[in-house]
Parts: sequence; C-alpha cells; structure tokens
Amino acid sequence: MNMVSCAGKTGLVFFPAFDWAISPTHPEREERLLYTRDQIFEEGLMDLPEIVEYKPRLATSKDIARVHFCVPNVESLVTEAHLIAAGSTLTLSDALENGDIRNGFALVRPPGHHSMMVAHGNRGFCNVNNMAIMAEYLRSKYGHKKIAIVDTDVHHGDGTQDIFWHDPDVLYISFHQDGRTLYPGSGFPAEMGGPKALGKTLNIPLPPGTTDEGIHYVLDNFILPVLKDFQPELVLNSAGQDNHYTDPLANMRFSAQGYALLNEKLAPDICVLEGGYAIESALPYTNTGIIQAMAGLDYSHVKEPDYVPGKFLQSMEIKREIEATVKQLESIWASRDEMVQDALASTGQFYRRRKRIFYDTDMINETQEETVRMCDKCQGYMTIATTAQRGYGILNSAFCISLPRNACSSCREDVKEEFEDHKEDRKFNYIYLQDKQKDTYHSYDTRTRNQKDF
Amino acid sequence: MLIGIDVGGTTTDAVLVENGDVVRSAYVPTNHDNLLSCLLLALDQITNDVPLQEIERVVLSTTLITNMIAEGKTDPVGLMLIPGPGTNPKEYHLGQNAQILDGAIDYRGREIQPLNESQINHSIQELKKKGFRKVAVVGKFGQRNHAHELKIAQMVNNALPEAQIELGHKVSGQLNFPRRAATTILTAATKEKYKEFANQIYAALKQRKITAPVYILKADGGTLPMDRSEAAPVETIFSGPAASIMGVMALMPTSQTSVVVDIGGTTTDLALILSGLPLLSSKGARVNGQLTHIRAFAVKSVPIGGDSAIDVCDASLTLGPHRNGPALCMGGSGPTPTDALRVLGLSDIGNAAAALKAMTDVAEKLGCTPEEAARKVVHGVVDKIVSEIGEMFRDWEQEPAYRVWEIMKKERLLAQNVVGVGGAAPSLVPLVAERLGAKAVIPKYAPVANAIGAAVARPTLTLNLRIDTERGEYTVAEDGLTAKLDGKNMNLEQAEQMARRLIIERANRLGIGEYAAEAEITYSEIFNMVRGWSTVGKLIDIRAEIPAGILPAWGRG
Repeated sequence: MNMVSCAGKTGLVFFPAFDWAISPTHPEREERLLYTRDQIFEEGLMDLPEIVEYKPRLATSKDIARVHFCVPNVESLVTEAHLIAAGSTLTLSDALENGDIRNGFALVRPPGHHSMMVAHGNRGFCNVNNMAIMAEYLRSKYGHKKIAIVDTDVHHGDGTQDIFWHDPDVLYISFHQDGRTLYPGSGFPAEMGGPKALGKTLNIPLPPGTTDEGIHYVLDNFILPVLKDFQPELVLNSAGQDNHYTDPLANMRFSAQGYALLNEKLAPDICVLEGGYAIESALPYTNTGIIQAMAGLDYSHVKEPDYVPGKFLQSMEIKREIEATVKQLESIWASRDEMVQDALASTGQFYRRRKRIFYDTDMINETQEETVRMCDKCQGYMTIATTAQRGYGILNSAFCISLPRNACSSCREDVKEEFEDHKEDRKFNYIYLQDKQKDTYHSYDTRTRNQKDF
Repeated sequence: MLIGIDVGGTTTDAVLVENGDVVRSAYVPTNHDNLLSCLLLALDQITNDVPLQEIERVVLSTTLITNMIAEGKTDPVGLMLIPGPGTNPKEYHLGQNAQILDGAIDYRGREIQPLNESQINHSIQELKKKGFRKVAVVGKFGQRNHAHELKIAQMVNNALPEAQIELGHKVSGQLNFPRRAATTILTAATKEKYKEFANQIYAALKQRKITAPVYILKADGGTLPMDRSEAAPVETIFSGPAASIMGVMALMPTSQTSVVVDIGGTTTDLALILSGLPLLSSKGARVNGQLTHIRAFAVKSVPIGGDSAIDVCDASLTLGPHRNGPALCMGGSGPTPTDALRVLGLSDIGNAAAALKAMTDVAEKLGCTPEEAARKVVHGVVDKIVSEIGEMFRDWEQEPAYRVWEIMKKERLLAQNVVGVGGAAPSLVPLVAERLGAKAVIPKYAPVANAIGAAVARPTLTLNLRIDTERGEYTVAEDGLTAKLDGKNMNLEQAEQMARRLIIERANRLGIGEYAAEAEITYSEIFNMVRGWSTVGKLIDIRAEIPAGILPAWGRG
C-alpha cells in the first residue's frame, strides 16, 4: 500500500444536510448532494490513505459576528445547518493550521457567497458567508494577513466581494457568467474595491457558453500570474460547480475534467462548496474530480456519462471576448497602486457610498449608507446605516460600526464615540460594534436598551 | 444446554452452559495445523458425561479463515472489475489479477455504458490461461443494478463451467465498491476450504451422535447455522474478539456502557459496549490491509501487555511495544509490567524475589527505589490504556454525520464499567477503572468469557432495501432481488414494513426465523426527487437488522 504521511493528506468535511431545505422543491434542498454522496462513497474515496474525513463542528455566534452584522441577531438569521456548514470550514482550518492536512475541501451546504457584510435574510440561497467566516477565522486565530479568495462559482460572489471590498490584504478574484445574463447581475471589471483596496477585487465576466478552454485561458493567463504577484499566505477557493455544461441555472460549458484540472493548477489550501445544481448529471462527477485533484490522485477516469473530449468547441467570438476581458483586467492589476494613490488624493476625510440590495430568496429590499474614514495611519473604521424593507413595512434598521484589525488609536476612540452616541439614536433599532482588533463584538437594542457582548 | 467453543490463537476454550451458569469448561492448546483436532478434543472434554440429547446448540468460533488469510493459503481468484467512471482502479490495490472491463452503471442503477462482449470473452480466456477456478465479478453500483454482473457470470459459466463465481452485489448491498470487491475476492478465495472444514465438523458431530444444530460465530457477534455460513465464510473472520465481547455482554447487566479490556502478554485489546450494544467498526473489518464490508466489532489493539519490555532511556521509561520473552518472575530474562505488579503486591503470580530483582535493575537506572520504579511502570501501563480508551470514545463521538439532528444530538457517553478479561486483568483493571471513575468488574467466568460468548450469542442478520419509486422498482442486493413496485406511491412507513417482511423471509430461509421478531430498522432515509419544481418520485434506503444479542436461554441479565 502506498502510505502517505499525515501532513500530505487532504481533509474532507462532507455535510450534505440531508434534513435541511430552503423549501421542498427549492434547488437548495435535501436531495442536492444525495447522488454525490452515492458516488464518492461508492468510489471509496474516504478509505484512501490520501484522504481523511472530519466531522464538522458548529460555528459560534462570535465566528459569524466576526464577519457579519446579522440583523436583528445571529440566532434569528441562521439555522443549525448554517452553523454546521460554516463550522465545517473552521474544522478544516484548524486541521490545516495544526499540520494534520495538506489541504481541505468543505463539501457542504447551504452555501454562502452571496451573503454580504450586513445580513437581513437569505439572498441567492445564502444566509451567512462560509468562505468569509473561514478567512476571518484564519486571520484572527492564526494571524494570517494576506489571503486570496478565488471564486469559481458561475455566479458572481457579490457577498464575498462586499465583505472584503475595503481590505487591501484580501485579494478577491471571481470569474463568472456575465452579470448581464445571470444572477446577481454584478461582477464587472469596473468593480475593483474601495479606495484603499483598488485592484484587490478582480471580476472576470465570461460570456455564456464559455468552455473548459476559456476558463483555463483565464486561469493560466490571468489568475495564476496575479496570485504569483500577490504572494498570499493562503489561497481559498469558493468552489461552486454551476459552470458545468448541464447546470439548470446557468449557461456555461465547463466539465468535470475542467474542474479537476482547475483545482490541480490553483492548488487551493481550502475549497468550500458554493452552488451547483445539476445534482445528477454534474455534481457526482465534479466533486469526485475535485477531491481527487486535491488529493493528488489520478482523476483522468472521471467523466460524465455523455461527455467526450472535444464535446464543446469555443467560438472565435467567445475567445476574442475573453481575451479582451483579460487584457482589460491585466491593466487594472498593473495600475493598482497608482489607482489607490489617485483615489486617496481625490477622496476627502471620509469615503461614502449608497447601496441598494435585494434579497431574492426572502424578498427584502435593503438600503445602505456606508462611510469609511480615509485614515492615514490605518485601514480606517467603517460605519453602515442600513434599513430593510419587506413589502410595505420596515423590517429593521441598524447602525453598524466596524473597526479594522490594524486600527489606530484615533479610529479606536472615534468608534467608541460612534457606538455610544448612536445608542441614543432612535432612528435605528440596533447598533452594532465589530471590534476586529480586540476580537469582541457588541450589539445594542435601542428599544430594550439591552447590550450583548461576545 | 448450550455449547460454545472458541478456537483462539494459543488456547481453545470450551464451555457447556445452562441456566446462566457454566457447567463444564475445558482448555486445550490450539494446534494451528489441525484446528479440527483441538476443537474436538475440547468438545469431548465437556461432553463426555453429558446426555447428548440435552445439547440444544453447538457454536464454534474459529480462527480458520483468519489463519488461512494470514498464511496465504487462500485460493487464487481472478477478478473481473467493471469500474465505470471515477477512480482509477489501480488506486484500490486489488491485486495483479484484475481484468478491467468496459461498461458502467450509475448511482441510480441506470446503465450508462454497455458491456463489451468481445472484451469479456478475451478476459475469460485470460483467466482460463492462468488457470483460475475462482472468479469474482464486481461492478461499481452493481448493487443498484445487477444486470452487468449477472451477464458476465453467465458468460464465465458458459466458458468455464467448473469455475466458482462470486458476484459483488450478493456480498453487500451497501455503497463502497473497493470494499465490496475486496470482500467478494475473499469470499471466492475461502469458500471451498471452508466447506471442507464444515463437512469435517458435520461428520465429527455425527460420529459423536450430537444432533444439536451447529452454528458459527461471526465478526459482528452473531451466529449463523454453519451450513448457511458456507455462502459467506469471511464473515467468520475475527470471531475471537467478538466471542470475548459477547461473553462480557452476557456476564454484565444489560444497557450499561462498558469498556472491555483484554490484557494479554504483548497487546491489550479494547472494545466498547455502548448502552448495552457492542460498538461496530464504522468502516468494516480491515483484512490484510484492505477494508471490507464485513461487519465487525471495533477492537483497538494497544501494543502493551504483561510481558512488554521495559527500557530506560535518559532516566525515562518506555514500555513495549516489543516483548522480551516472559516476565523475569516467570523465569524470563528482562523486567516487565508483570514483575512490577508482583513487587507492588497487586498480583501473586511468579517468583517475588525475581520480580524484585527486575525492578531493582529498573530502579538503578531511574535513580529511585524498586517500589517507586514498579509504581512508575504500572502508572505508565495504566496511563497508556486510559488514554487509548479516551481516544476510542473520542473517535466514536467524531464519526462523521450527514444530518443536522445527528450533529446536534451531541451524545456523550462515559464508561460505567471497566470489564477485565485476560491474564493481567485482575491487577490492572481496577487501576484503569479508578482513573476513569468507573466500576472495575472481573466477571466470575472471565477466563472463559470468549467460549461463553460463543455459546450464548444469538443470530444476527442485516438486510438493505432500496426503493426507487421513479423507476418503479426495489432491490435487495444480497438476495439478488430486483422487482417492480406495485404502484408508484410509497411512504417511509410502508417501506419499513416491507423491509421487516423481507428480513423475516430471509431469516426463515437461513433457518433463524425464530429471531426475526428481534429485527429493528437501524437506518432509514427518504428523499423526494424533484425535477423541474415538481416531485417525480422518492428514493428510499432502509436497513433492517437483527442486532447482536444474547439468547434468552442464557437466562441472565
């Protein structure tokens, strides 16, 4: 038998949540990973010496508050299934940091990459952002600074983008089907990050019908070189599987072989499953291929029943479009430092933007006003005033304050003041303070005058 | 009266039990070259003055299969593998003799690639050329659709009429193709020799005019009529530890959580009885480095025992894993834990002066008194056993789960009893129990717990039923059964009733129908299949089993 040392193993958390669904016929239902379970169990993948399976633990409210402002509170926004899915990523993070595994795959549902920093409910099948919860856990517990998140789901990971928008140390790269043709409708090259983090958000919209060839062109010619420049301590993959040619919710032409090769080239430290709804024709094969690629096993025998090499040929038109997009992004990446300097020169003491966010699953309309202090000593603290509306009624309003991990004393003082002042502000139902520097989280209910700290 | 005979590695133990008591017992050294002779010797010793018509049942637990595999005396098997898409079959390390065939079935039991008949014929000729008389045919998802395995079997049978053919789906209906292949190979490799052994047993019993039915003990602590076990002899592997655990189960109050500690010369075997039920290994038995579908108790072998060598290196103790012959106090050459127990007065085995000398040697190197050295040694042994027990409970708690409620129930069990069997148990078990805050128990019949376990274990049986209402069929793979459903509607309750009916039918066929009432549904899952926003069918998987248990005739507990 070929024994592999412990440090060389691939950690796997398989949590299909066989007793949890958004609704009985929703794509995010019990059945989603059933055939994947059948395939990977029948393959005997968990028995191989290269793979070790872990039981997930539950994420705590604090793990979630490190990323999200959950309105009104964490408990009312998540179910146990969300805590387990998020907890799976933390179980793998610990195993990775302890040197028990070489890399890991959280093959879990429900997914998370559409959940933004402020969360009033479910949008795009997501309540809390598993990937972001993991990244922030890795940074706060293990002291990592520079992290790259590569989002390979067919949908733009607008939640993850929102969470790390102002953070120059997190590189967020997403390729996805063009937002003009698919939910959530965002993810264009011009979305590049906040003033201090310009170029650290990179969006690569791809035309519908993009094949293995197109996606690997983007990977080889843009994503891998950028990662080499950025030199992250960790590479994390938001591993959606809905670029597959049979996915019912999207229109791409990616194959199981394409997915396996992508993960071999990208060599992520941890993969987290996001979407993927071709539950019979794709998921059993794509997941098998990804697990094998991560574990360094031969994946050449993985193939969808109807797949033959050369099944899809990419048109010249699509090829040219992708090449042009990559060119555009290359120039964004090349001028990132310059763009930051220009932005800082033209932005005043505070940067402000307004956002409207629609929660498709829960039918919530949210309005945000975001303010970031353009501090010259640190990343600068941020506040978000948020109001959520469902139908004709106001659902909730909240004032959220986030203090970055590298905060200077002046930002720290200001944040304290903001929190105390807003406690008397009856415009808002809840006031939140996310103190990443001290890793403490506070919420205040302006009606009951109760404060909760954790 | 019930008879249990356990042919172990060193001794063969036999008991005759009646009404919860051991009436006769015998120990005979095991002769590995002739298991039958020592087995019959032990049998004769306990039956020489017993009215034979009062014997209700004879149960054997033997190392036959274990030895056969360890000594490489199994028959060569030609493997015909239909791996379909997925893992490169080479990663499974199933040996050199595999013929890899085209054809594929998917997770739903649908054919996704047809067989290639000329390729199969070519493979059969290859097997013929190499002289194989045993053939295993195993397909990925063959348990969900047997057509490919059956077709190949028919072709092999036509070309090699004398060949013995084993099919993967008959071996197990559960997921895990490499385990199913390994188990099918083992079945093919052991069947003929096992049948010879069984025939010798039948003849010997007939000669002795013993008409009571003869049963065999399996790795899952259950018994099966010997003639029925000929279909799956590999299930009898590792019946030794199963016998001991069933013995402890019989000797302990029901429904308690106990750790079974079997301390031998160089190893200590640990097993768990959780709320009265022995813990099964979550991955199936590992045979020759290969995981199988053989259900076996989870037994952890710790390399420490009464004869473990004691070494001192840089003023710190190491215990085991090797053995330096017997203890000094038993005429051996080096210091051992047995010597340490003797010095502390925790046992009265062996020569006290020799034990003291052993500990004096250790003490000199450690720079302490012989008593202190002995205490350190015993402390080290207890430490090791306690930490391994802790790890077993943790491993059990950390077994993966795939449903929210399974993760949330967060069951934690603590040992109520530490039950000792084996030589050094009486002196060490109380110390282990104390550390765990549990009660130490050395059962009255501990030395023959294994034979008692064999005598009183009841039959076990497992049935896997899969229903696919969208395809309108159900399968019980091990029975080779695939049939149409009446109508497309079925709920979980109806499916469970069906599984109960099927397990009763199977129990009757196996001659253990009287225990079918004990059958429980141990696993059931139901999934709605939704296509295009509407429900098109249900997928249901049910496992029914008669779990390990003790015959009511034992009359205890």
